Amino acid sequence: MDEDGPQAQASLKKSTSMNSIKSSESTGSIGFSKSWLSWDILPSEWDIFWLSTALKLLLFPSYRSTDFEVHRNWLAITHTLPMSKWYYDTTSEWTLDYPPFFAYFEKFLSIPASLIDPKIVDLNNLNYDAWSVIAYQRSTVILTELVLGIVLLKFIRGSVEPPIQRIVSASIFLHPGFLIVDHIHFQYNGFMYGILLWSILMARNGNKLASGILFAVLLNFKHIYMYLAPAYFVYLLRSFCLSPTGQIHIKNFLSLANAVITVFVVSLGPFALMGQIPQLLSRLFPFTRGLNHAYWAPNFWALVTATDRVLLKYAQLTGAEITINESGVASSSRGLVGDTVFAVLPNVKPVHTFVITIVFQLIWLFKLWRNPTYKSFLTALTLSGWTSFLFGWHVHEKAVLLVLIPLSLLAAERQAYFRTFVLASVAGVFSLFPLIFTPTESIIKVIYSTIWIAAVYIPISRRVYEYPKSITYVIMDTLEKVYLAGFPLLFLFVSAFPLMRIQQPSVTNVATSLETCVSADPLDISCPEPLATVVQSTPGVSALEFLPLMATSIYCAVGLVWSFMRLGFIYLHEESTYQGQLSEIK
Amino acid sequence: MHKRGIKQWIVPGVIAASTLIKVAIGLGSYSGHNTPPMFGDYEAQRHWMEITIHLPLKQWYMYDLPYWGLDYPPLTAYVSWLCGIVGHFINSTWVELNKSRGIETAESKVFMRMTVLALDALVYLPALLMFVYTWQGSRSRRTQELSFLTLILQPALLLVDFGHFQYNFVMLGFTILAMNFFATGKDLWGAFFFVLSLGFKQMALYYAPAIGSYLIARCIYLGPVQGLRLLVRLAVVTVSTFLLLFLPWLPPFAGFSDILQPITRIFPFARGLFEDKVANFWCASNVVFKWKTWASSGFLVKVSTTLTALGFLPAVAGLIQSGITHMNVTKSEKTDQKTGQTPFLPLLPYALLTSSMSFFLFSFQVHEKTILLPLLPITLLLSGAPIDSAAYSWGVLVNNVAVFSMWPLLKRDGLGVQYIATLLLWNRMIGYNPVRLPFKSFVQLFSLAVYAAAILLHLLELIFAPPARYPDIFPVLNVLISTPVFFLTWLWSIKCGVEVGWALGGLGRNSNPATASERKATEGTSGTATSGTSLLSANGSGLSYRQSGNRTVSLGHAAAQSSVASALRARASLSPVELLKNRGSGANAGGGAT
Repeated sequence: MDEDGPQAQASLKKSTSMNSIKSSESTGSIGFSKSWLSWDILPSEWDIFWLSTALKLLLFPSYRSTDFEVHRNWLAITHTLPMSKWYYDTTSEWTLDYPPFFAYFEKFLSIPASLIDPKIVDLNNLNYDAWSVIAYQRSTVILTELVLGIVLLKFIRGSVEPPIQRIVSASIFLHPGFLIVDHIHFQYNGFMYGILLWSILMARNGNKLASGILFAVLLNFKHIYMYLAPAYFVYLLRSFCLSPTGQIHIKNFLSLANAVITVFVVSLGPFALMGQIPQLLSRLFPFTRGLNHAYWAPNFWALVTATDRVLLKYAQLTGAEITINESGVASSSRGLVGDTVFAVLPNVKPVHTFVITIVFQLIWLFKLWRNPTYKSFLTALTLSGWTSFLFGWHVHEKAVLLVLIPLSLLAAERQAYFRTFVLASVAGVFSLFPLIFTPTESIIKVIYSTIWIAAVYIPISRRVYEYPKSITYVIMDTLEKVYLAGFPLLFLFVSAFPLMRIQQPSVTNVATSLETCVSADPLDISCPEPLATVVQSTPGVSALEFLPLMATSIYCAVGLVWSFMRLGFIYLHEESTYQGQLSEIK
Repeated sequence: MHKRGIKQWIVPGVIAASTLIKVAIGLGSYSGHNTPPMFGDYEAQRHWMEITIHLPLKQWYMYDLPYWGLDYPPLTAYVSWLCGIVGHFINSTWVELNKSRGIETAESKVFMRMTVLALDALVYLPALLMFVYTWQGSRSRRTQELSFLTLILQPALLLVDFGHFQYNFVMLGFTILAMNFFATGKDLWGAFFFVLSLGFKQMALYYAPAIGSYLIARCIYLGPVQGLRLLVRLAVVTVSTFLLLFLPWLPPFAGFSDILQPITRIFPFARGLFEDKVANFWCASNVVFKWKTWASSGFLVKVSTTLTALGFLPAVAGLIQSGITHMNVTKSEKTDQKTGQTPFLPLLPYALLTSSMSFFLFSFQVHEKTILLPLLPITLLLSGAPIDSAAYSWGVLVNNVAVFSMWPLLKRDGLGVQYIATLLLWNRMIGYNPVRLPFKSFVQLFSLAVYAAAILLHLLELIFAPPARYPDIFPVLNVLISTPVFFLTWLWSIKCGVEVGWALGGLGRNSNPATASERKATEGTSGTATSGTSLLSANGSGLSYRQSGNRTVSLGHAAAQSSVASALRARASLSPVELLKNRGSGANAGGGAT
């Protein structure tokens, strides 16, 4: 964190000066207000900033998941313990399991925290929830998110069509995913995605070295971005280290390699010297989890699992001659918890998910290798993350941001991209809804997401609309609209279902069960078993109990899988059919 | 085409966004949260739901009075009853008699917050929308939208009703509805809604002098025949509405003395001059002059009543005088306007401001939340005002200081972060910049000084604990900063009232015929002499009067017509909808839309 400062700042400055020239040309007629507070920022952009900041401030007292305590605990660990003990401490169950840069970041944040209220950084002060720590941690989320805001502004300044990019930038800054996951649930995704977008911005501006360095930095903040690494690797190798004819640029290659190695040395070096790398890795990659997360992430495996359940029901009802795995029957009666074992379909092992992911990745990477432009890189990056999300082992619903954020940058390109973006965003954001289950916050998440999608849809759809060209497209268009129209119905079902169940006693409240579940899910830790036992004790009920969650997961998975296929198709036909404004960037 | 498509989404968007803000404020704490045994205003409102649905009507004003006995007029009781029925249907434990006292479950809190939101959507939102479309019917769509935004995000009301927990906007909404109907010439409907406002919360009496004298002036203006007819009708409507509201406590449904139950509860004369620290004349002057030790309570009540009456007298006199002046306008013109609004309608907001501010400053038993009443008319004035007008400057200053004056209350409620967020949001959304250079008027400099003092006080409070000898030092300093602002606003409202009165009616009767015909001409040419487009005629007349050398009409925004366009453009470039608007051309910051 500290080490990337100077370099990063230098590149930021460079791009500022470069873009300010461009923007003053392209937006000369706007007439900036000469108020003392404006640094080349339009009033409308300030409006968005203040509006969202006010809302985020109002969300201070909202529901917090245990991620809040996780991060508070990390403040305490990094503040009170020497570095050598960071990855060994087990005072709290929420041990440090992010890469070192994030630990440094927490160390940095813990300094003001200790001045504001020393109890925040007290290692044994578990589940501390005084107003001081809430206000402090929530503020740090808002403040670090400024990185995202600034980067998104820079995106507008040098873009091909600033008005369109302004909408796209605003849509990312105001993304419901960030509101739900960061400002209610509590995480630092805004900051992380700020770095990611910064890196993408550098790629767009042609500064590929900076792009690579920033991505390396990002990886050392949170390792989930490894999902995107293949696209980065191919893109930088092909377009930065090799000439178009295939000759290697030794100088570029060495500078990139050295820079990336330096980043990793700064991050991991101290721990390597202490011989703690195995311990660190075991914290980062705990391989002891099931195929599906507690609440199925809306991916391919959710569909497969659902198919298995349907087939099992079919077999049980008709007595069809299908070999049934008995442990799979037990697994299916356990709702959504624990390791997933199929009853009818062959079981899935990590290696299977790995192979499928690799195969799909290779398609996009091959295409990227042949056409290493910015737009191609962006699409491949999105598809790369998307592939991992759909086919990965034990994927989290929150990882859908990995798809939605880069995809947003493509949203206004053409009607085809836009429709993909709308489908994926609606499904993806809806799939995040179960994270927030307290009543007032639920109202907020729904209203906010609705406003957001309307505010993005209305202006962009007018801009990019194209008539469906053939009967196939008309049918597809209609089906997609029907699918989107299903979301309000799904929402009605999901919210009405618990109310109907309340009438019947002896049913554990969905909200409370879910609470146990979600609260045990800081980052990548699966649900603890106690819930499973609760559910097992009433097997007949449990299947219904989780019906809303299952329905949400499956319905969203349909949209995400379909829009994934859409984007994949578009990508493979990009050069011939789907040229847009981003194609102008070389 | 693109722009038009976006435009129709602005009002729904503003409503949705404001709803979001309101719900988000509701996440926070509320009055009396977790403070047994009495809790606070939240518990009072919930308790009223509890007693109204469980007790017979006769006991509503009698039951266990020390524990938040009902002391609001019957409409509040009826509304509580309705909300209580809904609450009882969903979960009967929320409003169980006696047992539910101090209930603070997450679900019951959500329910209570939702009743506020529902009533807001039923009364206040429609009232605001109608206000924008009647009082600013002739203004550009963008002005209307900005005005709506200004009103709907008014921070003081948001904090008190959606944070602290009350239903003030119902009372205010009814008053706005009354004003809307006055503006469209439907005086009887106006009177009806004002009685509803009074019937919801007796605090609406602060407006009564202005509304009453407006209606009397209107009767005078219409001349002996029509005026008398209107007067009788108004009396019938007012009295029968009151009777309807109080019907259960009146014969034949109750004994003769039963009406005293609600009345004595609604008007508790037995309390002192002031209780908490409130930024009015009595509390502020109490710092140097200990009223309570100096004079008896009865005498002080008399003094304060006299001062209050003197305080709102200018407004009453101004309205009546306008009525008399305009009565002498030629008959032919009057018949034209018979169904339309009265020419002195622009006086009404100023009169409301003068009257309510005088009550706030001088009457007894004032709460800090009562500042919401004077805030309503000045925010209505502010809402349509161009950014460099006096109404804008005063309106923003008073709004901000009003929120500041409630800081001790909000701090007690645990609404500190909401205080910052709503102030930030509103000032940004209306495009306010206190340090906009160069300073053009006294009020700008004054505002800056007040803000500096307020921020300094907040910093002091943050850093230092109050000295043991003066535990109330910070609230008192708060009062000392806020009171002068409210006092000056009161003076300013009187001044504006006089100016507008002059401009409308001229100094004497002689000047009338010429200017009246001139105004008629203006109206005719601009083709806006319909009843719906009330204010443009006022604007038009303002211009013509200025040309004839008289003082300018000012409804806050009517003055300086020529600068309106540029000012609007300045504000427009700050508007939150700019992003959407901009997307078409990508370059034009508002010029295209005006």
